Amino acid sequence: MTVPVTWQDVAALLPEFFLVVWASALLLLDVFWIREKRTTAWLSALGFVVALVLAVGQMGRAPLLAFRGMVIADAFSVFLVALFALSGLVGILLAQDYLARNGIERGEFYVLLMFSVVGMMLMARVADLVMIFLALELFSLPLYVMTGFARPRADSEEAALKYFLLGAFASGFMAFGIALVYGATSTTSLPHMVDVIQAGEADLALLTAGAALVLTGLGFKIATVPFHMWTPDVYHGAPSPVSGFMAATAKMAGFAALLRLFVLVFPVVADLTPVLWALAALSMVLGNVAAIAQRNIKRLLAYSSIAHAGYMLSAAVAFADPHLGPQAVAAILFYLVAYVLATFGAWGVVILLERRIGQEGLLLEDYAGLSRQYPGLAAAMAVFMLSFIGVPPTLGFFGKFYLFRVVLDAGFVGLALIGVLTSLVSAYYYLRVVMLMYMKPGEPIVRREPRVQATVLAAAALTLFLGLTAASSLYAWATEAILRFG
Amino acid sequence: MLWQYVPIAIMLVLSMGLAALIVALGHLVGPSRPTHRKMIPYESGMVPIGPGMRRQPIRFYRIAMLFLLFDIEVVFLLPWAVVSRKLGLFGFIEALIFIAILLVGYLYAWKGGALEWE
Amino acid sequence: MVAYWIFALVSLLMVLAALVAVTNRNLVRATMGLVLVLFGNAVLFVLLEAYFLAVAQVIIYIGAIAILIVFAIMLTRHVGDAWGPAFHRAWAWAVVVAGGLAVGLLFWIAHWPAADGKAKSPVDPQYTKLLGKALVAPDGYVIPFEVASALLLAALIGAIYVAWGGRRVKGPYPQRSEEKEA
Repeated sequence: MTVPVTWQDVAALLPEFFLVVWASALLLLDVFWIREKRTTAWLSALGFVVALVLAVGQMGRAPLLAFRGMVIADAFSVFLVALFALSGLVGILLAQDYLARNGIERGEFYVLLMFSVVGMMLMARVADLVMIFLALELFSLPLYVMTGFARPRADSEEAALKYFLLGAFASGFMAFGIALVYGATSTTSLPHMVDVIQAGEADLALLTAGAALVLTGLGFKIATVPFHMWTPDVYHGAPSPVSGFMAATAKMAGFAALLRLFVLVFPVVADLTPVLWALAALSMVLGNVAAIAQRNIKRLLAYSSIAHAGYMLSAAVAFADPHLGPQAVAAILFYLVAYVLATFGAWGVVILLERRIGQEGLLLEDYAGLSRQYPGLAAAMAVFMLSFIGVPPTLGFFGKFYLFRVVLDAGFVGLALIGVLTSLVSAYYYLRVVMLMYMKPGEPIVRREPRVQATVLAAAALTLFLGLTAASSLYAWATEAILRFG
Repeated sequence: MLWQYVPIAIMLVLSMGLAALIVALGHLVGPSRPTHRKMIPYESGMVPIGPGMRRQPIRFYRIAMLFLLFDIEVVFLLPWAVVSRKLGLFGFIEALIFIAILLVGYLYAWKGGALEWE
Repeated sequence: MVAYWIFALVSLLMVLAALVAVTNRNLVRATMGLVLVLFGNAVLFVLLEAYFLAVAQVIIYIGAIAILIVFAIMLTRHVGDAWGPAFHRAWAWAVVVAGGLAVGLLFWIAHWPAADGKAKSPVDPQYTKLLGKALVAPDGYVIPFEVASALLLAALIGAIYVAWGGRRVKGPYPQRSEEKEA
């Protein structure tokens, strides 16, 4: 008998274990004892706070492969796990009032959210192909249900069904790709895979095919063109807090696994570089151009999220270069932080202005005159829009700066050019929101929901403050989170 | 390798053969004097109403869905059960955690009214 | 040798059953064809000495998913009627795509180095035991095993919410649905 699981193993996955236990307990508490759904919300928020503390406690430790190489606790994963715990907390803050006011608040929502976050955390930790698939499913399944949470509403149901069917299809691609990669390297463990590939024992053609299929599966989750078709409809139909949560975190989780795989394991399949190039370029162009035509703020943000996936993917194009790989990872992590902050903030504003679920207050015109009555909220929204464009003092500017620098260093001048040009295009529709808020008269109706308002203002403050003062140190921090095994 | 499946094959052949034999014997040996009444599908002696296949309530589907989930649990536990003795306490605790997590789901399903036949 | 004959027989049966599943206009009969294909699959797993997969195939696909499909069909109108056309408008395209895929796969398999028919099955006869050990032994797939359990729990919650949760209410907007106090 081999040595059983040690405490070290358990400690490596402590936030995840805690969340699973907490979520399970909460599920039972919710059906047996808790009468006020609000209590469930607070308890799950508390769970995320504890998970965040546990994740922060893991920072600064040496990288550790736990459970015989199934998962890894390194700086990269700890960074993302902490971010996921925080996102879960924000997700609950955004969702609670919204669900309650629309009469769809149920304890299951918070439990599903927690399971989803556990899946995303595992996505950042994976060191084995089996884990990638399980983590992907664990974070996707609750998202499908949460998308359909406004269940009697047809558009929510439609969105859930669409997301589920296409998601299941993408999982199929993913599973097939994993099988091919396993066939090419005869191991599922990523560290072993690196050894096999370096020893030249891998079947390259098969590995390339497998990597391409895995890319397809992940491309669906991060919503890059041509796997983006579901995004506008799903973000539009889902309850707004779910869309915001999804837009921020599902993308992070997808990129976590994508970076882990492509930068660490697949540099050998440099043949895929043009494919990634094309995906990134198409996402940037199509996402931004399609966003111009949108009149509904949820659809606009959906297309904008496609475009941002393209920006991040453009740095990942440099994955095959061993010197640039770590830089690309740092740039993408940094961009993710900027993107997540602005996304949560912008969706928070959407939630505040949405009068009836999916009905009123979602058109761009509804934002007219916001600055007159709610100057703080309008300023916050303007900060998010500017951050999305990449205007200097905001965090988004630094994000784009580091991204394009990596792209240029890698020699993809064309791609960087597309990125800059599409950013200019994006300024048109982002600034239109700002223009409407500040220039046009109107009588916007805004909810008084202190938790959401506080979240929005905090996100705006961080976007500005981190951009002004701490951008370079945050980047240095992200650089330390480079990927390594062992 | 395949010899261990011979009993299953024998059982398949026997069961299908027996069914075929009984039907065939009934046709061949029994007298056949059909009247209108005899040709009506038999439904506990009652006169059947409507077609044989009709829409079923969604409850069946829901229960089948729960069944599917617990079925998958069984499939996971099967390989463990084969070697449970060899794996000792560690494996036992493993399986216990596995079942405990799903037990939470079971309790939830029970309490949430999913097992009731409304 | 016996295995080859069984393979030939079962494959033939599967192809015929698959044809039934695709072409029969009666949904229930088509499902039965599908079940036969799934069963044939289980037999093929046995021939490949993947016993556990064979058992899983029977338990999950035939035991649960086929039933789910049957119930789903029983929910629909026109149960058991030969209703609607059997061929889609674009059936010719489907034939082209499927044919191309089949030719491609055949070509690929024919040129696959390991496909000369002499490859030995690498699977240990004690395969189910190995799998059990791999799943729960400390040096095996402990974490995936437990994550699978969490995944099933999440699926269960989701399924129950979707199937029982929000009750359909009249009017354009959902009212606050009464919590079930059971």
